[in-house]
Amino acid sequence: MYINEYKILLVDDEKTLREMVCGFLHRANFHNVITAADCRQARELFRKETPHLVLLDVMLPDGDGFSLFEDLQKDSQVPVIFLSARDEDEDRLRGLGLGADDYITKPFLPEELILRVKAVLKRVYRAKDVREEDVVVLGACRVDMGSGVVYWHREENSDTKETDTEITLTAKEYAVLQKLAQERGRIVTIDALCEAVWQEENYGYENTLIVHIRRLREKIEEDPSHPKYLLTVRGLGYRLI
Amino acid sequence: MGQKYNYKKAIRLFLYGVAMLTMIILLVGILNIVFFIVGILALKNMDIDYIHGGDVIEALTLTENGYVLAEEMEQEFVEQDQWAMLLDASGQVIWSIRKPEEVQEFYTRTDIARMTRYYLKGYPVQLRVWEDQIMVVGLQKDTVWKYNLEFSISWMDFVKRIWWYYFLINIAWITVLAFFFTRRYTRKKEQARIEWIAGVSHDIRTPLSVVMGYADTLEHEEGLPEETRQQADMIRHQSMVMKELIADLNLTSQLEYSMQALRREKVRPAEIIRNIVVEFLNDSRQKQLELDVQIASDAESVCVKADRQLFMRMFRNLINNSLKHGGQNDTVRIQISMWKEKGKCRIRYADNGMGYSEEILHGLRNRKRGASGHDIHGLQIVKKIVLAHGGKIWFGNCEEGGSYCLTEFRVTKKGF
Repeated sequence: MYINEYKILLVDDEKTLREMVCGFLHRANFHNVITAADCRQARELFRKETPHLVLLDVMLPDGDGFSLFEDLQKDSQVPVIFLSARDEDEDRLRGLGLGADDYITKPFLPEELILRVKAVLKRVYRAKDVREEDVVVLGACRVDMGSGVVYWHREENSDTKETDTEITLTAKEYAVLQKLAQERGRIVTIDALCEAVWQEENYGYENTLIVHIRRLREKIEEDPSHPKYLLTVRGLGYRLI
Repeated sequence: MGQKYNYKKAIRLFLYGVAMLTMIILLVGILNIVFFIVGILALKNMDIDYIHGGDVIEALTLTENGYVLAEEMEQEFVEQDQWAMLLDASGQVIWSIRKPEEVQEFYTRTDIARMTRYYLKGYPVQLRVWEDQIMVVGLQKDTVWKYNLEFSISWMDFVKRIWWYYFLINIAWITVLAFFFTRRYTRKKEQARIEWIAGVSHDIRTPLSVVMGYADTLEHEEGLPEETRQQADMIRHQSMVMKELIADLNLTSQLEYSMQALRREKVRPAEIIRNIVVEFLNDSRQKQLELDVQIASDAESVCVKADRQLFMRMFRNLINNSLKHGGQNDTVRIQISMWKEKGKCRIRYADNGMGYSEEILHGLRNRKRGASGHDIHGLQIVKKIVLAHGGKIWFGNCEEGGSYCLTEFRVTKKGF
C-alpha cells in the first residue's frame, strides 16, 4: 500500500481550515480524506470508516481532543497527530505522554503538515512513498534497503568487462544510512543520528558514530577519503546527497 | 525557579499589602481607643459614681441631737438616689440618710470585711474611714457591677516583658494575612491577563493557518504570473512573522507573570544548538545564510537545567533577528560558539549584520520599557529566557562589525 492510499480523518471545527487542509492533502496526493466538525461526528466516522490516521484539533465544540483521543485509543491503535492552537497544549502533549504520534501548532505551513503525516504513516505502517524506493542509488552503487546489501557495478576501464560486487552493511551502518536516506538532501545532526542508531541514552557515541560513518563510506563511496555522497557538515552532522 | 523573574513585582505588591493592612489595623486600634475614651466619658456623664464619702463627712455637723447633714448634701442624696450611714467603732449605725430598711443597724467585723469587697445585702457600697468611724455610701440595688481584681507582681512583670513579643506576633499576623491577600489578589489578576492573551492568540492562530495555507498554495501555483506568486510569498512570509509575534506575546506574558513554572529538564546545549542551526540550514527558503558552530570539546558534554522549548526559542529569536537585519554582502553569517569557563557554560552568538543600534542596546541593558519596539521584542524575550534560567546575558557590537550576544549558564552535574 502506497502512502497516499491511506485514509485520513481530519477533525476540526473550523470549516475553512478543514477545506484548506483537505485541499493541500489532495494536492499531495492524499485522496482518501474524510472530515468531521466535532467529537460526535468524529466518533461516528471513525467507527464507520476506520481511518489509518487522525488529524485532531485539541479544542472542539463538544469536548476536547484529548478525551476524544483517549476514546479512540481504547479500541484501536490508530496514530493521531494533534493540531493545537495554544502553546499551553504543547506542554500537555509533551508531558502527558498521551502516546500521540505527533503534534503541530497552528498556524502551520502545508508542507509541514504533509511531512509529519508522511513521517507518521511511514513509521506506523511502514508505508512507502511513491518516489521513495527500496533502493538508494549513489552513483555506481545501489543499496537495497530491504536487505541492507550494497551492490557495486563497476566497469573496468579498458574492456567492457563488468564486475559486480556485493557488500553487506552491519546493523549500525544500516541504521545510519537509513536515517540519512530518509532525510536525503537535508543535514542530519550528529545527535539525531546517534538517536537513530542507539535510541535512548545515546549520548557519548559521537566517536563511535565517526567510526561507523567511515566504514559506511568505505562501502558506499568510490573514494572514501573524498566522499561524494555522504558529506560531513562540519560541527553539525552529515548529509546524504 | 520560574518565579524568580517576578520577585520584584511580588515584593512590591506584598509590601503594599502589609502597609495597607497595618494602616487598617492601626485605624481600627485608634477607633477603639477613641470609642473607649468616649465610652468612659459617657459613663461618667451617666454619673453612676458614688457621692464622695469625705464630702459627706465634711457636710456633717455634730449637734446635741446627733449628726446633721448640710441641706445641699441632703438634696444631692435625693437627686442621685443614694444613701449613706455612719458606723462607730463598735459597728453601730450612729447616723444615716435614706438607708434602706433591710440594711441592718449593727455590723460585726466580718460584715464590714464582706461589704468592702462585695455588696451589702445586694447594695453596692463604698467605705471611707474617718477617725474611728466608717462612712458608708451606698447606691440602689442592681446599678453597679463590681469585681475585685488582683494580680501577682510576677505576672504583671511577665506581662510587661512579653508585651513586645505580643506586638511582634501581631505584626507577624498582619504580614501573613497581607501575604495571602496579595497573593490571591495578584494571582487572580495575572491569571485573567494570561488567559486573555492566550485566548486572543488562540483565536488568531486558526485564521492565520488559513491565510498561510492559501498563500503557500498560491505561491506554488504554476499557472499564476511570477509577480502574483511573489506577492503570495510575501503574504506567507508576513504571516510567519505574525506567527512568531503571537508566540512571543504569549511567551512574554507567561514569563512576566511566571504562572507556568519552567519545565526544566537536563538538556545539552550543544545538541540544541546543532538542532536549531540545522533547522535553519535545511529550510530551503533560507538563502545566503552561513551558520558556523564551534563547540569546545570539553563543552560537548555540558548539561544545563533548562526548558527545552524556551532554549530553542532563544536561539530561534536570535537567528531570526539576524536574518531580519541582513548581513554584509547579502550573506548573513552567524557564528555560535560554546565553551566552558570557570565551571560555567558560555555561549556566544555573533552575526555580521549592522550591529545593534544605540537605542536597542540601551533598551536591552536597561530595564525600562520605553525602548520597546518591533525590533527589540524578540531580543527582550531572549533576555527574559536567559534570566528565567538564572543565567547572565550581555549584548554588544563586535569591533569588526555585527552584533554579539553572550550568555552564561550554570552547569548541572553530568547525568549520562
